[in-house]
Amino acid sequence: MDVSQYLEIFIDETSEHIQNLSDNIMILENEPDNKDTINEIFRTAHSLKGMAGTMGFKRMQHLTHDMENVFQEVRNDAIKVDSDMIDLLFQCLDAIEGYLAIIKETSDEGTNDNEAIIQKLNAFLNSVSDEADSSADVKTDAPADTDASSQEKYLSLDLDESDIKKLKTAADGGQKLYGMTVYVQKDCLLKAARAFLVFKAVEEYAQIVVYSPSSQDIEDEKFDFDFSIFFTTDNDLDTVVKAAKGVSEIENVVAGEVAPEDYQIEDAVIETAEISVKSSSNEKKTAPAVSSNTNSAQSPATKKQSGKPVSNRTVRVDIEKLDALMNQVSELIIAKNSLVSLSSSEAGIQNQSYQEQIEYLERITTSLHESVMKVRMVPIESVVNKFPRMIRDLSRNLGKKMELYMSGEETELDRTVVDQIGDPLQHLLRNSADHGLESAEIRKERGKPETGTINLKAFQEGNNVIIEVSDDGNGIDTEAVKSKAIERGIVTPEQAENLSQKEIIDFLFMPSFSMAKEITDISGRGVGLDVVKSNIEALGGDVEVKSKFGEGSVFTVRLPLTLAIIQALMVEIGDEKYAISLGSISNIEDIPVSDIKYVEAKEVIHLRGAVIPIIRMNQILDIAPPAEEPESLTVVIVAKGDKQVGLVVDDLMGQQEIVIKSLGKFIDNSSKVISGATILGDGEVALILDVNTLM
Amino acid sequence: MANIESNEVAEKKQYIVVKLGSEQYGIDISYVDNIVRMQKITRVPKAQSYFKGILNLRGEIVPVMSIRLKMGFSDDVFTDVSRIIILKIEEQGKLGVIVDEVKEVVNLSSDEVDRPSHDTKDGKNTFINGIGKNGDELISIFDINAVVEENY
Repeated sequence: MDVSQYLEIFIDETSEHIQNLSDNIMILENEPDNKDTINEIFRTAHSLKGMAGTMGFKRMQHLTHDMENVFQEVRNDAIKVDSDMIDLLFQCLDAIEGYLAIIKETSDEGTNDNEAIIQKLNAFLNSVSDEADSSADVKTDAPADTDASSQEKYLSLDLDESDIKKLKTAADGGQKLYGMTVYVQKDCLLKAARAFLVFKAVEEYAQIVVYSPSSQDIEDEKFDFDFSIFFTTDNDLDTVVKAAKGVSEIENVVAGEVAPEDYQIEDAVIETAEISVKSSSNEKKTAPAVSSNTNSAQSPATKKQSGKPVSNRTVRVDIEKLDALMNQVSELIIAKNSLVSLSSSEAGIQNQSYQEQIEYLERITTSLHESVMKVRMVPIESVVNKFPRMIRDLSRNLGKKMELYMSGEETELDRTVVDQIGDPLQHLLRNSADHGLESAEIRKERGKPETGTINLKAFQEGNNVIIEVSDDGNGIDTEAVKSKAIERGIVTPEQAENLSQKEIIDFLFMPSFSMAKEITDISGRGVGLDVVKSNIEALGGDVEVKSKFGEGSVFTVRLPLTLAIIQALMVEIGDEKYAISLGSISNIEDIPVSDIKYVEAKEVIHLRGAVIPIIRMNQILDIAPPAEEPESLTVVIVAKGDKQVGLVVDDLMGQQEIVIKSLGKFIDNSSKVISGATILGDGEVALILDVNTLM
Repeated sequence: MANIESNEVAEKKQYIVVKLGSEQYGIDISYVDNIVRMQKITRVPKAQSYFKGILNLRGEIVPVMSIRLKMGFSDDVFTDVSRIIILKIEEQGKLGVIVDEVKEVVNLSSDEVDRPSHDTKDGKNTFINGIGKNGDELISIFDINAVVEENY
């Protein structure tokens, strides 16, 4: 069967499962006895195996199969989870990720068998079967469902109490009780329909007592490639089996006589939980864990909720389709804007109801735009939830104790931004772990707790999303940075003396300026902060650092909420029109020229207790100043964090919804004063000012 | 534009002949997306001096370059016959170049195009990669990649 059309779904779902595994293994490391987590890992490995099998990725299937086997034993309490096991599980995870990466590139899983990992997994298994061959009678066979020898799955099913009762009643009725496991062909497309036909065929000769999984789940296709039934009949077993085999796309049917006593009440949860694998991943999306540290405490709770399958209410949509939709909404807004400007300029159409309709149209386009934007927003969770694992590994590699606290994972950003924010954040975290946090001895000396703390905090502020990465480590040694800068010849010693704290810290963002004394494989190659900065700026954001030597540093990443459409204030400078994002404007003032003061030969205004520097926009933009200096200046005060600056413009034109368009690749925009262009209602093009670069 | 001349002779290429001052230049038609009349161009501060700015091409933002300035000629004087040729360059997108006049479309076979006669290694940038002969007239063929490329 051609499965290529399913490849994207496979990749998406596998990534989800990998993340799920990673989260749960982290929990397991702290709570080795957490049954829910163990079950969850088992189920995830099982799902991965099934998916890999369907797609024909044999190596990946093999690996996950062995993982599943090991966890079957853990579930049975035959193996204890220890740190070796956790390490091995992480290795497995990395290996699966490796497969996925290759699959993404080449649509094939590659040739790495990961023999070593599989051998280790099997070593775990062997250690069990040696010591516990008596206790692991039927169950050890259970996971090996790909082996032909143990196809009689019905023998090893975990049935719940009511099902066993039903079996008992049926057996008491005097008829013979049989179990049957039906294997559907792996490429069968309508599994539920095939199952239904099997039931119908069987029911001609027998009475079905128990379905496993439940008939409802079978109807909903919530089973892999096999399902089992128990039935009573007076007919010959062969007749029934033949009837079942008569259904097309059925690979195999195995059946035999059973007694209700063979089935003990196992973990009753398993059956219901198995169903909920799908829904729990959905739930994760809508209700992300508050913090990965509380994850462990929280996960049992979420799991209980997911006992009941939640109907699937999400749709996967290709981002390209959303882009197309967004473009069309942009076009619509431009068209609307031109209607608005027509209606206000042409005297001929001053009709009352026409105006009303225009207003109506404006409302609709605005809410349409908001809806489309919301559709594109995804929580940053999908990016940040790989970090706890990373910090754990770093902690081991560096031999430092550290703890990552995260908050605000539910903060939403445009999908395209979220996709690209992972690397810069990872850099910042690594930076904190490697350079920021001191070794345990120094921490003790300084009277800090031995375990270092790294915080990742995300929240929304106006039209921006702020992500803060902070640590309670060493902070930036500005003196050391200064001498390094002098050593590199970036500044002269005299210049260095006059540098502000901020200017010194900015050196760290220069290409190939590394402060690491020795190169580790974590950082210190000088490709770091400058890449972080340029990546974030490419997304229209910026990054700032605050640091106190000896106490720690805070990296603040500011990102625009949306990339495409914003509310903007239109201003006139000379005879040119510019747009300023409304989100960054704090207020607009009329300042008499006589109120302008000078500080360090720079123009400032004193406004309600704050001293705000002002910038003559015509100078920045190379526009001739007005012929005569007016008596008062129109100053647009823009803010970034706690910094403010006043922009002097000639005239205000009003607020407008604008569609941001790129200037393209030809025009050199290295000064970054212009962040893009927009098309106005009359077809004219106006430039968008990036006020962040002016501060 | 492409169907002005539909006769397909092997090795023949179509060129749009434009005028810059008194000289004639040819632009390989496969690069041409569109030819538009002069319209309002929005200046972009801090851009390269030979970029006149950007314009709105049916909802698309297209940068406009003065090929005269880039080649070191005097600045453009816009007239009724001035046109902006919209070039479509793979990967980098669209780019408009201002020409004084668009004359015609000619078919030139490869033997009608000579390599440039003057030495190109005199340190100066060259934007020409051939001289086409159309009857008595000479047409300098633009090397589009050189035109588009950032020069130093």
